[in-house]
Amino acid sequence: MNILIPHQWLLEHLETEATSKEIQKYLSLSGPSVEHIYQTEGEDVYDIEITTNRVDSMNVRGIAREAAVILNQAGIKATLKPLQIINKNSLQLTEELPLPKVFNNPEINKRTIFIVLKNIKRAPTPKWMAKRLTQTEMNIHDAAIDITNYVTHEIGHPIHAFDYDKLMNTGGEIHILEAKKGEKFTTLDGEDFETVGGEVVFKNGEGQIIDLPSIKGTANTSIDESTQNILLLAESIRADKVRFASMTHAIRTVAAQLMEKNVDPHLAESALLKATQLYQDLCQAKIGNKIFDDFSEETTPKPINISLQKINDYMGLEIQKEEIVKILTDLECKVEGKKTNTLKITPPTFRPDLIIPVDIIEEVARIYGYHNLPSKLMDTPIPTTYPKNLNFELEDKIKYFLSNIGWQEIYSYSLISEEIALQSGHSTNKHLKLQNPLTDDKVYLRRSLLASLEEIINNNPQQKNQSVFEIANTYQPQNEGKLPDEQLMLSLVSSASYRTVRGALEALLSQLFIPYIDIEIDQKLVKPFFQSATIITKNKLKESIKIGTIGILKSGKIGVEIPIIKLLKVANTHPTYQPIPKTMPIIEDLTFTLTKETTVGKVMTTIKNIDKLISSVELKDVYRRNHTFTIKYHDLKKNLSAADVEPLRKNTVRQIEKQYQAKLVGEV
Amino acid sequence: MTNQKKTQSLPQLKKAIDELKRQFDIESKTDTKNLHNKYLGKKGLTNDLMKGLKNIPNEMRPLAGKLLNELKQNLEHQLELLGKNTNKTPANKIDLTIPGIKPNIGHVHPVSQAIKEITHIFEKIGFTRVRYPEVDWDYYVFESLNMPPNHPARDEWETFFVDSPQHDQMGKMVLTTHTSNGQVREMKRLKGKPPIRMINIARCYRRQQDATHTQMFHQFEGLVVDEGINIQHLKGTLDHFAEQFYGPGTKSRIRPFHFQFTEPSFEVDFSCHICHGTGKKGKTKCKFCKSGWHEAGGAGMVHPNVLKAGGIDPEKYTGFAFGWGIERTYTLKEGLNIDDIRLIYSGDLKFLEQF
Repeated sequence: MNILIPHQWLLEHLETEATSKEIQKYLSLSGPSVEHIYQTEGEDVYDIEITTNRVDSMNVRGIAREAAVILNQAGIKATLKPLQIINKNSLQLTEELPLPKVFNNPEINKRTIFIVLKNIKRAPTPKWMAKRLTQTEMNIHDAAIDITNYVTHEIGHPIHAFDYDKLMNTGGEIHILEAKKGEKFTTLDGEDFETVGGEVVFKNGEGQIIDLPSIKGTANTSIDESTQNILLLAESIRADKVRFASMTHAIRTVAAQLMEKNVDPHLAESALLKATQLYQDLCQAKIGNKIFDDFSEETTPKPINISLQKINDYMGLEIQKEEIVKILTDLECKVEGKKTNTLKITPPTFRPDLIIPVDIIEEVARIYGYHNLPSKLMDTPIPTTYPKNLNFELEDKIKYFLSNIGWQEIYSYSLISEEIALQSGHSTNKHLKLQNPLTDDKVYLRRSLLASLEEIINNNPQQKNQSVFEIANTYQPQNEGKLPDEQLMLSLVSSASYRTVRGALEALLSQLFIPYIDIEIDQKLVKPFFQSATIITKNKLKESIKIGTIGILKSGKIGVEIPIIKLLKVANTHPTYQPIPKTMPIIEDLTFTLTKETTVGKVMTTIKNIDKLISSVELKDVYRRNHTFTIKYHDLKKNLSAADVEPLRKNTVRQIEKQYQAKLVGEV
Repeated sequence: MTNQKKTQSLPQLKKAIDELKRQFDIESKTDTKNLHNKYLGKKGLTNDLMKGLKNIPNEMRPLAGKLLNELKQNLEHQLELLGKNTNKTPANKIDLTIPGIKPNIGHVHPVSQAIKEITHIFEKIGFTRVRYPEVDWDYYVFESLNMPPNHPARDEWETFFVDSPQHDQMGKMVLTTHTSNGQVREMKRLKGKPPIRMINIARCYRRQQDATHTQMFHQFEGLVVDEGINIQHLKGTLDHFAEQFYGPGTKSRIRPFHFQFTEPSFEVDFSCHICHGTGKKGKTKCKFCKSGWHEAGGAGMVHPNVLKAGGIDPEKYTGFAFGWGIERTYTLKEGLNIDDIRLIYSGDLKFLEQF
């Protein structure tokens, strides 16, 4: 949460020579981060980020307190001035007004404190206050309303101004309890709400809600133009209860954002007295009754024991005990055990974030200055228990090889629209769906990358034959109570020809030293392909392994899907060396006219299987139905002669012509 | 009598070839000038033998042809080698100003490039890269990180929830808002036995979208746990990263912050490479940074409750963790000038082809 603190307002609480630049620098190094200094109304205003655990700093006084300690440590003299408020015993009572009766539940509210102010003269907000409200981006109404906001910003404890007469007219009772489901209330700005049950509310004797404490006032008891008497009240509802009600009804007022973070109930009195003083000064208010204060559970913070050794262990150096004691004392902690090696530290009531020893270490270390600590690398052992089934080098090798041969790597969103989800071939109810998507195009967790990649090619029509790939998880839903199966997938999509894509795939696999690659036409439809084949390789044991799918997508583009885990099982880091043959092969081309129904792959397999001397068959050229195959005859033991090859050639021609109704072009 | 007359049969041809080779060997050692014409020219010796092919019996002809082809290749090869040994100059000059023909290449995505670089930097100092679920239980993403249900600290994470029944012990199924879900998972993988030096890099998701936020992004998370690990080690690790990733002279800085799962917690800044941490460029303010430093991410000493959740004794071991966005870290690189982070996941090839 960011808070705006005007420099001049800060100086009302802090005596220092430090410039605003210095305050920014040192606060940021050892305390809350001063992100900007703005010039508003001719003065410096700090924009400070306060972390959620430091609600004590979300006000002018709290920043002054931090700055005093931090600046002194940095060698710039600074003192926190005493809080200027009236003495509660000096309040002059005139003509006493009756007090409302309070029925509290100490389980949900620690403190109720209020004062009655009467004969309020409505007056415009004075210039000096309006200036500060402007500097801190608060709205300006009139003094009677603005005083509460001003004091909250200064002291850090919200207070609420009730219309005393409205409150007394509803029976003069305040019941502090949890609402039931379905109770109605209207906030001071006229919005209607219905309780869900469990919100802490104020009710009158008749059970009507008369306030949503620590969050927002209700219309039936809030001050309006006709208000003459005010009941100024501060309470201390349990933080989780405030948060629950505020979140449930999305009423995120400043008060709620403070009170849900455990504001120190001790501050309530200071806030009340400060406001009373301002009502007296600005609205000529008279005191209608003495302060009512029901502080049922005045708990003192629990002491924390910490050994000096532990502090030194975390900081990696030895700090003098005196210095530790000084830092903690400056931070208003009570430090005992100064003669032993274990300190007993009692934090001040405004620091409920200090609970365990490491909290104390943080205080010592930050005030000492993280920037004053040396920097060095670990000298501890390097772990050698490596995770299984991970090979980031292989993933990188794939990425760099594919991109080097012309493929563009893509990172697309794992979250997809309904339209893209359906393209995976799985219905939307077979996808994991977000409960709270932000936009319509990112609702489902994808089960395939192909549709996302197709979309990217479609969105980039300027390039012809575009080839893209991605390595990312797909999310396959599992049975209830199980996380989805996150399958890391290598997917390729291209508008180039099938042969080009298959060639790239074969080149990739051979880069991974996968010696055998074949495909097998899928008889059944594989989602989301229009026509597909299974990619088959062999592992070290020469067993056939199906590693993925290649095929035509419905858009006509070529797609490939291979789970990385499958590649891990067949990829090698190196080849098996084959001795370089001492004999020469005979290489020749044969051209066949094939019928339309003939599949080339099958023809090639047939040729390859005719004789073991045929060491390879490659498709050299296709012209209409004429297919030219380059056939390599190779005997590793001797150089083949033309005579050796001739019968093989004749046999090849005979078999192909017979099996496939093919016709050789030319003569044998 | 020309050679073609002598070669009426295969043995004769073989003999002629051998003779020719011998002759070539001798001549190539003395006079290299006219060898090409003499042996491979149109009226050269090899062609002469070719013409004799017609005299060879039909059935022997293919093999004879093959032998002659081999001879030709052999001579060509030897001539080529001879050419290399002499200081021969090419016949024609070429226009060196003519543009090159580029091969068609693709590009590795900038996020992959950054991940590779980051991984390498941490592997150098003994970190092991791991991978953990991107869709995980509330327990690992929040609860085991010292954030009980409904804790206000959870507000900082704009969490996406999966529409799926809640797990009895693990809570809701969520998209990981940070890579910190890897902390307790890594402690459990190692059965609560340090040393731990992990780097976890993964996709993360938050329910927000503007020029500096995308619904999906990447984080990297470091976790070190062992005896005697202290704040200085975190500073050392961050300085190592700063120097390696942003270039020599880059410094890191830690400042107080708050996270539920670390104590103390820090905000991590890197010194600006434009103004070198001064906030000034000459006499004017540096336009690239906030007062000399860039906020990059969070870090801290692992909270005792997190160590306990991972089965590690916080009395014996301490550790630090850090984690921040890859995209933000990457876009801070000098001269990169990416001002809208959404471009990274736009799939716009005009953008991607620049990397």
